[in-house]
Amino acid sequence: MIHQHFMLVPPLSVAENVVLGDERGGPALDRRRIEDRVRELEKRFGIEVDPSARIEDIPLGLQQRVEILKVLYRGSELLIFDEPTAVLTPLEVDELFEIVRTLRDEGKTLILITHKLREVMAVTDRITVLRGGQNAGELVTRNTNPGEIARAMVGRDLKELKARATPPRTEVVLAVRGLEARSDRGSPALRGVDFEVRAGEILGVAGVGGNGQSELAQCILGLRRPSAGAIRIGDVDISKDDPKRTRARGVAYVPEDRHLEGLVLAFTVADDFILGKQDHAPFARHGVLDPVTILRNGGRLAAEYDVRPPNPRAIVANLSGGNQQKVVLGRELSERPKLIVVSQPTRGLDIAATEYVHERLLEQRGQGAAILLVSSELDEIRALSDRIAVLFEGRIVATLDAASATEERLGLLMAGHSEAA
Amino acid sequence: MTWEQLIGAGVLAAMLRLATPIALAALGGVIAERSGVVNIALEGCMLVGAFFGVVAADRTHSVVLALAVAMAAGAVLAGVHAVAAIHLRSDQIVSGMALNILALGLTSFLDYQFYGNTGTPADLAAVPDVEIAPLAAVPFIGDVIGHQNTIVWLTVVLVVLIQVFLFRTVPGLRLRAVGEHPRAAETVGIGVRRTRYWAVLASGLLAALGGAYLSLSVAHSFTDGMTGGRGFIGLAAMIFGRWTPIGALVASLVFGYGTALSFSLQGASIGDVRVPVQLLSTLPYVLTILAVAGFVGRSRPPASDGIPYETEGH
Amino acid sequence: MAVAFRTGLFNIGAESQLLVGAVAAGAVGARFGFLPGPILFPIVLVAGIGAGAAWAAIAGYLKAARGVNEVITTIMQNYIVVFVIHWLLQNGPMTAPNALGTPASAPIGDGAVLPIIIPNELVPLTRLHAGIFLAILAVVVFWFVLWRTPLGYELRAVGLGARAAAQAGIDPRVHTVIAMAIAGGFAGLAGMIQVTGVFHRVFDGFSAGYGFDAIAVALLGKNSPIGVVLAALLFGAFARGGSIMQANAGVSAQLVSVIEAIVLFVIAAELIVRILARRRGPKPLEAIA
Repeated sequence: MIHQHFMLVPPLSVAENVVLGDERGGPALDRRRIEDRVRELEKRFGIEVDPSARIEDIPLGLQQRVEILKVLYRGSELLIFDEPTAVLTPLEVDELFEIVRTLRDEGKTLILITHKLREVMAVTDRITVLRGGQNAGELVTRNTNPGEIARAMVGRDLKELKARATPPRTEVVLAVRGLEARSDRGSPALRGVDFEVRAGEILGVAGVGGNGQSELAQCILGLRRPSAGAIRIGDVDISKDDPKRTRARGVAYVPEDRHLEGLVLAFTVADDFILGKQDHAPFARHGVLDPVTILRNGGRLAAEYDVRPPNPRAIVANLSGGNQQKVVLGRELSERPKLIVVSQPTRGLDIAATEYVHERLLEQRGQGAAILLVSSELDEIRALSDRIAVLFEGRIVATLDAASATEERLGLLMAGHSEAA
Repeated sequence: MTWEQLIGAGVLAAMLRLATPIALAALGGVIAERSGVVNIALEGCMLVGAFFGVVAADRTHSVVLALAVAMAAGAVLAGVHAVAAIHLRSDQIVSGMALNILALGLTSFLDYQFYGNTGTPADLAAVPDVEIAPLAAVPFIGDVIGHQNTIVWLTVVLVVLIQVFLFRTVPGLRLRAVGEHPRAAETVGIGVRRTRYWAVLASGLLAALGGAYLSLSVAHSFTDGMTGGRGFIGLAAMIFGRWTPIGALVASLVFGYGTALSFSLQGASIGDVRVPVQLLSTLPYVLTILAVAGFVGRSRPPASDGIPYETEGH
Repeated sequence: MAVAFRTGLFNIGAESQLLVGAVAAGAVGARFGFLPGPILFPIVLVAGIGAGAAWAAIAGYLKAARGVNEVITTIMQNYIVVFVIHWLLQNGPMTAPNALGTPASAPIGDGAVLPIIIPNELVPLTRLHAGIFLAILAVVVFWFVLWRTPLGYELRAVGLGARAAAQAGIDPRVHTVIAMAIAGGFAGLAGMIQVTGVFHRVFDGFSAGYGFDAIAVALLGKNSPIGVVLAALLFGAFARGGSIMQANAGVSAQLVSVIEAIVLFVIAAELIVRILARRRGPKPLEAIA
């Protein structure tokens, strides 16, 4: 198994990592001998890495070769690659495929797990498509084409689009220019993102998870500091603002993880409704909270957003997922935001709750809010969005009108199969 | 203030004496943290080592047995920490701190039960000093290392042994791998939990030896809370020493020197101003905070230090 | 019973804040001892609280900015304070001649002394002084801040869900420092009360070590009057600590240390109670239970 996240110990040498757990020989650690052994292995399979280099000093492409060496050292006949190119540069990818072909010719069995069509077409002999945990088709590579694979990937159950009464207005609410940011692990997550969202428009951001969606939402909110670029609300650049100031400009946020980010679970419904609004009127006056107003506000919003039970004193942790999300919506949407950043709003919700969330978002759109909808659910994106931007490896590879965004086109784009190519 | 007070043989000999318990705690810290477990219960391990060493010395009149009992006591306390940290995956700081308080209360209580108001017996079996006859006569050097305690030398030996173990043996390699990237270690068949248990037990043994040194080699008695935070200072020494045994020894010597200085400067003055010795005594603690905060001697701890390991799918 | 000690339960392992508060109160109380009570007492009060808060804020800052566990920082701070007090009293600026047989500061001005409400002769081992009103007031203030102000709301939000608070514009780091400072302020108040109500000066061995060290030593110690006073204080703390602990939960949780504190507290409490029970026979244990 070649893991997507390398199973290597960074401060140890290449050779030490290769033999770790199967050192062979006495308890003494003879560095020269294990390095020789690794060198021999490298020669046999045509893989080049300096056995004495430390893992943390070598690039990811070479680290992956160490992973491959580890498997070969243990005499495996079957090698499983889990998204092996996720962290590689294009050149490294080519070199990896070179090694993969050599191994195949050596008689090894290889399984490549990936969501990128180019890779599938480039190195495989046979293809199995998995969708929703089920086998969605078996194909022979030389007899198929990317379109057919993409169709198998997204399925064919196309849903009817809801007709939208009002066209978006012309006023640009959010403009993002040349936005770059790094992930928590320090790797580039956004590599120059440009887009704008108008009043009364829903811009869907489609993409396979982990292509920069979370970072994009966090940058706009001020939870993550961009390394370059501008984020403008109207004429004001908010890229350096903290969440408090960003929100003061009329930005609302429905976060991806409502348990961790959206709600303080141990709070009551009423308390969670005022999160972020606790320090100004009507909830606080002269530095003192007004419990009566807070409770009344809680009761009103709970009723308005159909939170069940409609009890403002209920503890949020005890509510169902759908009702928790309604608490988030009630808090975020009740003050007529100009811009709403919505991330995976229906993840884990049942159909009724999902519909409720969708209705509320469309209602906001009708009232003139600009909405940035990040979702990995293609159906959701297509049902709600006016335009759809596809995010792939930190870049927007295409922006489509909802009408022209077929699932097949989106599927291809999400898999990195750019339209020009 | 004289040169004698600053770097005289007396000060340097005291430096070695004072550095020893810190170095032993630091060694324990190195082993535990290299395997990925933060053990701030080292302080408690030292304390039970100090106390039970005294009890065993009193009952058996055998130094060897006393040290064995002391180390066993430290290992038991560390064992509790190991279960909490590794098996129950509890917060390692909480567990360690709770055990420190437990050790403090337990030893104070038993001390009173066993010895009441009179204090521990005066005729305890003591860990002997090592007289290096040819050296003892040499001026200065003889005064510094000519007659140091057995445990001082033992510590030096342990530092070398553990350095070799960690960086020149296969089990040492595996231990480091577990501390850096337990998942990677697990995928190649190394028992993460087993490794960590052994490491934490070893850290308890070492810290307890440091405690026994305090009670059986230096003080020849036990008093409540006599370790005075040396377990924590040991952790700081470990950080200064970049998680290596030899580095930890050097850092311990620095701490030892600082303390030795605060003793030798008692009553000393620069011109008319008396040196505030007590303020010098705070230095190890200030340094410890700075070390932990990463302001001084910042270096990278083992990557999975202090993070409980969960097997996939559990 | 005196309840001054109750506030000391705020952050276990942070006894030094109490000491710093005591020293500040003692220093100011002695230095400006000539002032009349209505002026002197508030100054001493602010000194005690402010010193405790500032000292604790260091630990809060180190946690927020450098990720240092506050348990370790505060323990080291305890040692530092103990040595600094040695210095202050033995050959530092606060050294004063006295008849206690131990280094001590000059007594604080009469204006800062809390009156004794129930003298010792009436109910032995209690020496209830006006500090109880301060302690009660402190609890009320604490409750009010935590549950009735935006700041308290923010502290609770950060404690119970740091990421949710962060995305709503409440900075967890700033609030960690604030929470720590508040806790330190209460500890400082406790120290200040001990000085103004019980000892009227600061002396060496005011506290002998870290955390529960002083208590354990005093309890097990040679039946000294101080030991008994501390024991009494501790019993007061145990008997009435429950409600405080509960009110406490918000602020402490917000340091993530609530659980730590409670765990430590329960273990330490059990242990000390057991020790006491052994020494005094089974009766006190039953009385507590």
